[in-house]
Amino acid sequence: MSASEAKKITLKSCDDIEFKVDIRVASRSILLKNMIEDVGETDQSIPLPNVNERVLKKVLEWCEHHKDDPQPAIEDSDTRRRNTEIDDWNKKFLEVEQDMLFEIILAANYLDIKQLLDIGCKTVANMIKGKTPEQIRETFNIQNDFTPEEEEQIRKENEWAEDR
Amino acid sequence: MQRSSPPPPVPWVSTTTFHSLPTPAPSPQLLPHLSDGYPITNRPDDFNRTVRMGFQNMDNLQRQRLLAELLDSCNNEQLVFVSNYISPRLKRDFLKELPIEISLHILSFINDPKTLSRASCVSKFWHTLLNDEFTWKNLCVRHHYRRRSSVSLSSPPSPTASESSDLSSNKRSSHFSYKDHFRRRYIVESNWKNGGRTLVTHISTDVGVVTSLQMCRNYIVVGMDNKKIHVFGAFDGKHVKTLTGHEGGVWALQYIDEVLVSGGCDRDVRVWDINTGQCKHVLHGHTSTVRSLKMKDKRIAVSGSRDTLLRVWDIQEGILLHLLAGHEASVRCMEIHGDLVVSGSYDCTARVWDLTTGQCLHVLHGHYSQIYSIAFDGERIITGSLDSTARVWSPTSGQCLGILQGHTSLVGQIQLKDTTLVTGGSDGAIRIWDLETYQCIHRMAAHDNSVTCLQFDNKRIVSGGNDGHVKLWDIQTGTSIRELTSAGNAVWRLAFNDTKAVILLQREGKTIMEVLDFEADS
Repeated sequence: MSASEAKKITLKSCDDIEFKVDIRVASRSILLKNMIEDVGETDQSIPLPNVNERVLKKVLEWCEHHKDDPQPAIEDSDTRRRNTEIDDWNKKFLEVEQDMLFEIILAANYLDIKQLLDIGCKTVANMIKGKTPEQIRETFNIQNDFTPEEEEQIRKENEWAEDR
Repeated sequence: MQRSSPPPPVPWVSTTTFHSLPTPAPSPQLLPHLSDGYPITNRPDDFNRTVRMGFQNMDNLQRQRLLAELLDSCNNEQLVFVSNYISPRLKRDFLKELPIEISLHILSFINDPKTLSRASCVSKFWHTLLNDEFTWKNLCVRHHYRRRSSVSLSSPPSPTASESSDLSSNKRSSHFSYKDHFRRRYIVESNWKNGGRTLVTHISTDVGVVTSLQMCRNYIVVGMDNKKIHVFGAFDGKHVKTLTGHEGGVWALQYIDEVLVSGGCDRDVRVWDINTGQCKHVLHGHTSTVRSLKMKDKRIAVSGSRDTLLRVWDIQEGILLHLLAGHEASVRCMEIHGDLVVSGSYDCTARVWDLTTGQCLHVLHGHYSQIYSIAFDGERIITGSLDSTARVWSPTSGQCLGILQGHTSLVGQIQLKDTTLVTGGSDGAIRIWDLETYQCIHRMAAHDNSVTCLQFDNKRIVSGGNDGHVKLWDIQTGTSIRELTSAGNAVWRLAFNDTKAVILLQREGKTIMEVLDFEADS
């Protein structure tokens, strides 16, 4: 493996932009890691039909920063969830418009980068936490499609969780 | 970028640059309705169309340049308009637009039910998503609201299931719902912290010291030093019957289902059928007070006496199986696990016995003073002594594995679960120990006088003291939560399960039993 560490592969975004990256960086993605292991060394670029240039660039920036992290152990999903802290670098990294955050989550899911998917999802969860329904609607531009009667009923149904 | 259809006849066209991602463009209803007051309607449509077409034929860079020029020529009012126009369109309804498994993954990072409940009020889609069992199951797991077929869930049928609304998809009222389960447990938990109600208060007509208490599925059974055994219903706390027959104070009792054994000053062990109230056997043999009694199952029971002996009984047939001799003083406490019984004695030793053969397997030497309390889970034996220590022993080798020091007086109360040990002392302190490290994790100055009773589960400790107070503690942090009832002169015994607590105490000179209820819909 040591010889291949300096090796590079080429990734091609869906809008045909090529990125030359360290295998070590690309291997943060389990999808790419498995592909590279299966295919072996190749000069051909790997097409990523689900990721555009803008998002791929951002995702690779994350992979570059985390390239030396130990590969996450196979944790049970509960351990992943309990760990709700996002460190400063990642917080700053994800200070993007919602659209980009949305695309990052999708790309992390597609490329199978669990840590990135998790912090993306946590970021969205944090945008929901502690907000009233109206504040949530505002945050995500959601229309209230309940009738007033339905809304009242649902509010009652969920009253139990309010401060007791 | 090819466009097959002509641009729709709307003032602005969605030209976001989603290249090939499987994400929908902002839905059309999000377009704002431009009010008639804007100058745009005064311009000839033709001009707008020309600009639009030209814009569409540009590449990304050209478009950006044009937009920048247009924006540069805007005044503040127009910029505010643009900003207000754009900002909602840059927002995404993540939960609706992402694949559902990712949406649920997002929700799994939310730990508090308040947020989840509020989120379910956002829109119809969110409401449906928030009713997903996965989310509530996770929440149950993380709040340790295990689903179990114990007292709480089995009977009586909980009224919560039938309460769900028309809107919720839960039409199967007889089916288990994690959301309902969570809701119920959450309410029960908050009732423990700052709610609940007194279900019943019994004031005993005859004065007497309460010596023993057990609460299980059906009954609350109370043993008194005035020879009586009182039986109450576990659900409503109402008095069911009184078992009389003992000729001296009752000092030990245990029941499994309908089979109850009791013993006391009259030296007899009695076997009862609680349902009928009938005394099935009177087992003679001990020559002094029966101070401890444990059942292995509904067939085998062991009694320990001030006469230094333990007796193993077949309580179905009413015959003695083994006489366990060896202690040199009163047998004070006892615990059974599997085929082993361990006994603690005033002779400062504990003994491990084989129930099937009646053989003494180990004598546990080490304490400098009388043993008053014992716990045994098959893996470890814990003994509490007047020498103010507790000791941990191996039941297989008989070796002392650790000495737990810290109490300054008799360690009279002990409960063990897995690697957590809780001890209560005559020094008024409660200590929580980790049996992997033998370290004391928390020490609470709980009572002004002896701790007379305590019980814990994975969330809480309830303790009673000779100071008359009944206190509720958080077992994780060791902090006091509140007092469960108004103080009396002394607390005799207490017991609790998920939703109820029974407290026997003396208040204003009277013997009082209180049943507290923390049930969700009380």
